[in-house]
Amino acid sequence: MLIENPLSTSPSSFPILECFHIAGFALSIGMTALVDFRLLGFGLQKQPPAQIARAFDWWMFGGLIVAVFSGLLLFSTDPDMYYLNWFFLIKMVCLVLAIVFNYTIHRRAVTPGLSPAAGRAVAFVSLALWVSVIFGGIFIAVIRPGLT
Amino acid sequence: MLISFLIWLQNLEPFTELRSSGYVYPVVLALHVTAISLFGAMIVATDLRLLGWALRDGSIADVVDWLRWPKRIGFLLAATCGFLLFSSKAEEYYYNPFFRIKILLFTLVAVHAMVFRKSVYGSPAELDLGAQPPARAKLAAGLSLFLWLAILCAGRAIGYVAGRPGMHFK
Repeated sequence: MLIENPLSTSPSSFPILECFHIAGFALSIGMTALVDFRLLGFGLQKQPPAQIARAFDWWMFGGLIVAVFSGLLLFSTDPDMYYLNWFFLIKMVCLVLAIVFNYTIHRRAVTPGLSPAAGRAVAFVSLALWVSVIFGGIFIAVIRPGLT
Repeated sequence: MLISFLIWLQNLEPFTELRSSGYVYPVVLALHVTAISLFGAMIVATDLRLLGWALRDGSIADVVDWLRWPKRIGFLLAATCGFLLFSSKAEEYYYNPFFRIKILLFTLVAVHAMVFRKSVYGSPAELDLGAQPPARAKLAAGLSLFLWLAILCAGRAIGYVAGRPGMHFK
């Protein structure tokens, strides 16, 4: 190898990055889920969904940034394994869909005046997409392809 | 005594099955992580409100009362999946230093809950009386964030300790 990835030379760098990754996505996905639960009718009844979404917006974004950047660093330690891994590709598709959905349709769904049924549908899609991202991430470890 | 119980536990049929399953084990693990995300965000939301850093247009009492039961349900889900994962390799976990650290941290979480139950979580309405959340609420929130983050890191590190030889897996 011409250039050594500095992350590959220290055995503790991968698990430490994973902790940042988990803390980041737990914060962003969990807070999005709290907004979704409010849209589904559970939770803080006094506050409308828009108010909960606004309160968590920047924390959710911060968690997402931490998760994405730590994820890029984790990816850099073994790119061809990830590239050849079906679960990784599924995860990336779900992740892109989840982020786009979050900042377009989901954002509009929390505004007042929308029908509760539409809100519930949006919450359901949002939860399904984010949970798929988590499952995809865990299942990456189930198959270990390599270049032959 | 304890170790023979753990060997018996891990060799019960459902846990032997879980240990050798190709896909069930990662499904339980993914459910564990999903529950951690839900539960973790609720912990952070409560603590951010107690610190006065988020949800300031709602009262502390609203946020604490709102998340009390969802947090319990989220924890129960995470703990149930965690128990399944532990039971499938109970003997190995027993020797794992990070598992021991995690158990110690859970004990501290229980102490934290007992210490702050009366003054913070059980009487949130009193926390709204001042312009700022009282110092005891901020202390409880800061310690809670630290403990749960430490539990997350210890939990992830469990998987990095190499398996031991001579385990009594059937």
